Amino acid sequence: MRETSAPRRVRDRRRAWAPYLFISPWIIGFVAFTLGPLLFSAVMSFFDWPVIGTPRFVGIGNYAKMLTGDEQFWRSLGITLKFAVFFVPLNIVVALLLALLISRPVKGASVFRALFYLPAVVSSVAVSVIWGWILNSEYGLLNYLLSLFGIQGPRWLSDPTWAIVAIVIASLWGLGTMMLIFYTALKSIPRDIYEDALIAGASPVRQFFAITLPLITPSLLFNLITSTIGAMQQLSLVLLLTKGGPLKSTHFYGLYVYQNAFKHFKLGYASANAWFMFFVILALTALLFKSSAAWVFYENEVAAKPRKGGSS
Amino acid sequence: MKKSARALVLGALVLSLLAGCGGKKAEKVQIRFATWDSEETLTLQQAIVDKFKAANPDVDVVLEGYGDDFDTKIAAGIGAGDAPDVMYMWNFAHYKGGLEELEPWIGKEKPEFKKDFYDTLFNYTSIGGKALGLPIGYTTHVVYYNKALFDKAGVPYPQGDWTWDQLLDTARKVANPKEKVYGFAFQGGPDPYDFEHYLWNAGAAYLGPDGKLKGGLDDPKAVALLEKMQKAIKDGYAISSEGSGSKELRSGKLAMFVNGSWSIPSMKKDGIAFGLAKMPSVEPGAKSVSVVSVSGVSMYNKSKHKDAAWRFMKFWTSAEANKLRIDYEMPVLRSVAEGEKLTSDPIVSVFYQMLEQSGGRTPTSYKVESWSEMSETISEALQRVFNPTVLEAPSKALSAAAAK
Amino acid sequence: MKMKGFGRAATYALLLLCSLYFLFPFIWMVLTALKTEAEAYVFPPKFLPGEFRLHNFADAWKSQPFGGYLRNSLVVTILTTVGQVASCALVAYGFARYSFRGKGVLFMILLGTMMIPWDVTMIPLYMEFKALGWINTLKPLIVPAFFASAYYVFLLRQFLMGIPKDFEEAARIDGASEFQTFYSIFVPMMKAPLILVGVLNVMGVWNDYLGPLIFLNSRNKYTLPLGLAAFKGAHEMQVIPIMAITTLMILLPVAAFAYAQKYIVEGMSGALKG
Repeated sequence: MRETSAPRRVRDRRRAWAPYLFISPWIIGFVAFTLGPLLFSAVMSFFDWPVIGTPRFVGIGNYAKMLTGDEQFWRSLGITLKFAVFFVPLNIVVALLLALLISRPVKGASVFRALFYLPAVVSSVAVSVIWGWILNSEYGLLNYLLSLFGIQGPRWLSDPTWAIVAIVIASLWGLGTMMLIFYTALKSIPRDIYEDALIAGASPVRQFFAITLPLITPSLLFNLITSTIGAMQQLSLVLLLTKGGPLKSTHFYGLYVYQNAFKHFKLGYASANAWFMFFVILALTALLFKSSAAWVFYENEVAAKPRKGGSS
Repeated sequence: MKKSARALVLGALVLSLLAGCGGKKAEKVQIRFATWDSEETLTLQQAIVDKFKAANPDVDVVLEGYGDDFDTKIAAGIGAGDAPDVMYMWNFAHYKGGLEELEPWIGKEKPEFKKDFYDTLFNYTSIGGKALGLPIGYTTHVVYYNKALFDKAGVPYPQGDWTWDQLLDTARKVANPKEKVYGFAFQGGPDPYDFEHYLWNAGAAYLGPDGKLKGGLDDPKAVALLEKMQKAIKDGYAISSEGSGSKELRSGKLAMFVNGSWSIPSMKKDGIAFGLAKMPSVEPGAKSVSVVSVSGVSMYNKSKHKDAAWRFMKFWTSAEANKLRIDYEMPVLRSVAEGEKLTSDPIVSVFYQMLEQSGGRTPTSYKVESWSEMSETISEALQRVFNPTVLEAPSKALSAAAAK
Repeated sequence: MKMKGFGRAATYALLLLCSLYFLFPFIWMVLTALKTEAEAYVFPPKFLPGEFRLHNFADAWKSQPFGGYLRNSLVVTILTTVGQVASCALVAYGFARYSFRGKGVLFMILLGTMMIPWDVTMIPLYMEFKALGWINTLKPLIVPAFFASAYYVFLLRQFLMGIPKDFEEAARIDGASEFQTFYSIFVPMMKAPLILVGVLNVMGVWNDYLGPLIFLNSRNKYTLPLGLAAFKGAHEMQVIPIMAITTLMILLPVAAFAYAQKYIVEGMSGALKG
């Protein structure tokens, strides 16, 4: 029999170190590959920093110009927020709905599962070609199909009011990832919980709101945050499908930053743009996280609360 | 003690220098060569590169093809101080700070070296009279027409010099809007660089006399031409395309559109019976002009192997290499164009005719410091005129942009 | 769980409706890969090709050194997947199952790294890789994956937070070390989400285009998406090879998904009951 007090102290000390050891890969990677470029871009944002030529210190000049003297900044910010408000809830609801559908015990569920997931693995180059084709207003497939029913379809890609809808339609096509995440979460819910509910005679709708939804709230939070970030940074599809047009109606913030950096060669200004967006997203994320205390349900906290009073 | 140590270091340095010099002869110099070519032509380019390597065993050339994303890659490379030694180039104004001035290099060559190039081309590879690239290919804009639709409508093919009135009249005759067949396609979002020749033909340019858009872009002569164009869309026999119009012509629904030589390969591959006509002028009897899109090869000004790079550039612009690339780049050397009878070729000759009559013009992008921003303003105004859901009055759209 | 007639009908109706949206563009892509270019552009659109030109696939594949691209893509995809799964499991475990000083701040920083647009960090990153001598090698695409990316850490953390606290308590009472607890109790339970991470990474890396574009130079280092993009010139693109190669390229992620699917279906439920 060993003495109990000494080893326990050793173990406690070890336990105090353990979490840092577990997260150390990320810390090392962050310091090695992210921190440097990040600081560099923060420094650049205070310079007039052309891609070719000598940088010149301008203090907060870039930020001041962006907030007060650049019409496009506000326009792009507005378009992006509009897109996010439109796209994020739609994306989540549809992904969740599909995940629920494919987790129902119907014949051929695995086929549908693959079907809905497929578009997510198509490379963005091909996605833009396919949708460019389908949505072409004069000779596109969609308007052709609509015309068979006597409907005159809108000019999806050349009408400024419809172009953003076209982007939403094409973006939603790739929601397989999010669906898969919901699906994994749904499948992780222990069967017996439902069995108990069934015995208690709960209706499917009640089951969903009382059991399913609370148990997948961690994944919901994840999808909410990552799809918000994705929406705010949307770039590749816009770049390939509409190039920001028509009439800059899809000139998203991501494209605005990209063009400032690579078309206008203003790296300093683009960095300031990027950092502004960083704080916007950070604020949104922080807000979502704060609110999550009220609606996200973590099992480990439930068990921990009486003893320690919460972990994060 | 100290002294001897220093001597030792010095000795080692001298030795290594000698070793370096001695080794240099055997050592292969490697240069990077970046092009924007896509798959269709990369294989041929590699073959030409290999030819150079065979003749120059001391130089190794690595071909890098970036296709549509050439600019992103080159910008990143130059920004990080690590661009390819030799690169294809068309946007000379944009990259000028990263490109080697070639006058001293050209000066070392025989005078005939430069003379064989068509004169206009060096205009397009120079900024402020300083050559930043050697021309290797070019295209002017021309009118593509679909012979089948002309035959069906019983309208003769366009020939020789013509005017916008004649073009639009022809378009009206060929069109059959009921069957979604249109006579001409305007671009709904034209590229401002490619669009300027319409103003030139009307006797205007983007910049007014004082170097501002005011008095240039909103010149009444430009407005009048754009009104004429827009009317054709409103009348329903011309369309505003989401692309250049090539897709529509290939689908058999469009009679004419304007583009550079870029659409020829796909037309040929589809087996479409097409013809090429000169750009239209505005005034009857006047010779039309076209903007020229010149591609060149440039040298990175921080390249570590400039001599090897220059040798390679000379090879790439030589008659031999011109001939090898003849199927996808229009030769820029008189000797090759004439020797290969391109100036009388039924398809290609029109580009040489347009080149001969388009001299002496300099696009605005070569003249102003901030073309990338100015082009956005112009682009927006042009979209307001040609976007089928907007079709704003040209006078209004152009003067609004010129006031910016 | 049995469904009533109406519920079943409604489910099928919804499934079929959604399939139309998801499947139709996809089928269109595959059929286009079998057409001639002229057929692809014809109007009114023809759904089926006049002749199923299966050799379009071989032609597209042979037009570039796709064998080499495939090898590079496989190397990058396999190594990054191993790296991400291993490192993210560790890091997520650390964040989800411990409370420690600075955790809140560190986690926010972790999330923050997802919010930086690449355009502005890319050039400094390029300089860093250049200094390391990694440009024009596959290292910039592979090595960072061994240091856990925020997206997957966050995803795994959400799953780990859903496991009741009793598990490590029990393990500790049994005298297991911290790593043992992680490895022999939690890793088996995380099977489904870890496989999910693997699948998502395969699909992301397999299609990644910007990273290879910026960090690779010579064609013998190219990955598949770069080869695919080479069919797209500045003025015209070759639609048929794009569709053909895309169709071929989805095979691997689909296979990965098919493999993963059965593990995900099992879920964590089995493990949790134990």
